[in-house]
Amino acid sequence: MGDVGRKVPERFDVIVVGAGPAGCAASYMLAKSGFKVLLLERGRGPGSKELYGGRIYAQPLRDVWPDLDKKAPIHRWVTKERFSFTWGSRVVTLEYRVGRSVSFTTYLPEMAKWMADRATEAGALLVDEVVVDDIVVRDGRVVGVRSGTDFLRADVVIDAEGVNRILLEKLGLAERLDPGKVAIGAKEVLRVGEGAINDRLGLSKKEGLAWLVAGDVTEGVPGGGFIYTMKDTISVGIVLHVGRAVEAAEKGFLRTSIHGMVEKLRLHNYFKQIWGDADVVEYGGHLTIEGGLGLVPKKLYMDGFLVVGDAAGLLLNTGYTIRGVDFAVTSGKLAAETVVEAFNVGGPTEENLSVYESKLKSSFVWRELVKHRGISEIMSDPYYFTVLPALLTSLLKKLFEADYEEPTIMDAVFEAASEEDISIAKLLLKLASVVGRV
Amino acid sequence: MSTLEKPFKIEDLLQRNIWDVDEEPHIEIPLDDQEGLKKKALALLCPAGCYTLIGDRLIFSYEGCVECGLCRIITPSDKIRWTYPRSGKGVTYRYT
Repeated sequence: MGDVGRKVPERFDVIVVGAGPAGCAASYMLAKSGFKVLLLERGRGPGSKELYGGRIYAQPLRDVWPDLDKKAPIHRWVTKERFSFTWGSRVVTLEYRVGRSVSFTTYLPEMAKWMADRATEAGALLVDEVVVDDIVVRDGRVVGVRSGTDFLRADVVIDAEGVNRILLEKLGLAERLDPGKVAIGAKEVLRVGEGAINDRLGLSKKEGLAWLVAGDVTEGVPGGGFIYTMKDTISVGIVLHVGRAVEAAEKGFLRTSIHGMVEKLRLHNYFKQIWGDADVVEYGGHLTIEGGLGLVPKKLYMDGFLVVGDAAGLLLNTGYTIRGVDFAVTSGKLAAETVVEAFNVGGPTEENLSVYESKLKSSFVWRELVKHRGISEIMSDPYYFTVLPALLTSLLKKLFEADYEEPTIMDAVFEAASEEDISIAKLLLKLASVVGRV
Repeated sequence: MSTLEKPFKIEDLLQRNIWDVDEEPHIEIPLDDQEGLKKKALALLCPAGCYTLIGDRLIFSYEGCVECGLCRIITPSDKIRWTYPRSGKGVTYRYT
């Protein structure tokens, strides 16, 4: 017997693979209901392999942890939303002062640890530094997991392995990730200081800012930049649509590396005043799901098996909001409820666990993914990431940089379009298609 | 001029992280035959800069890999063996 086998008893009711938001939520709910839960994590501590933008929508988490606001490691409540278009030295920024904050910023490793602590307090056993190699299936039933030479037995396995679905692929439930449906993100964490963040961004104590950037920061590739304020640090990063970025790189259109883009954003004249000469304290990268529904596996359940979180393809990126952690927690909660109910009606058979899919499909998560499904086509079209920022910034230049005579708005639109070599007819068609999709 | 006013090299960025590099490479990508590899894309899009193009030749080093999985999905599956580092090795994030 190997390392894991020595640390844990023989048999569990449920094994959860991955101590991220989905896995922790499922473990917590099941442990609370009296199930013997083993939560396995490949990293050194929960969340230690996780990286996201920086913000979580709170309400779905309160459904699992009603004391979230008081107890969770919340850095700042988002009270300012900004969106910028960049093109050369020109930048247009829209700011919305949030009336009622619905989301907060935090470090995902810190948040995952908090969620895992709730699970272990409720009785789950967390074992980290364990890479699960296989979901073990016998006679069409999932019976446990294999890690190295260890076989760990359970009545139910919940797969919360994250966006890289190595286990699901081996089971034949998911194809290898389609580069057209994922994005690659890279980010830096800058140590700015709490007071400096508040002063420079006009934030009060515990108020935060979420900022998305589109335009030449991604050099024509669909994607964008992001900036989130933590307590005393700022996260700055770039996300690129993988399919489009690979195309652009292979054709030679893309010249800057993704880490080079993050560095350019850090050193961008318009943005850098916020962090000044703050040092980089951490740097990392992660894949993320690009489009709604496109990555949901063929099946979300099997006899003795459920899939939750990123592994289940549950993430929504509308271009102005990104929801992943709250979707993950909700799916973990629904999976746990399904398992509890299944044991009340005879056990975790395929039929009893299929209830998970119906629960998910009647939840806000699924409704959101269905409602916004048109967005992924827009989000992968380079047009919107080049023409719109170029035109908008040029238009405002015409309006605001006149010495004597200001053009009318219509003249400014046509002048800006002709300067940027943009066809108004094509623009109108594209905008009409956006309206049709959103 | 402070060093923070110039772009960092990828090695300098990665140095900020906590690492426990596995002695065993967790990614193997045979580079004797580079046909079919998305060489430019690997060199530009790997967030950890593990892939470097020297002229037309790609070189690879798994140290500094942040286990994102990008190379795994843009390389034909028969040309790459990609696993996670064993026993908690690799990168450990704190502030991400």
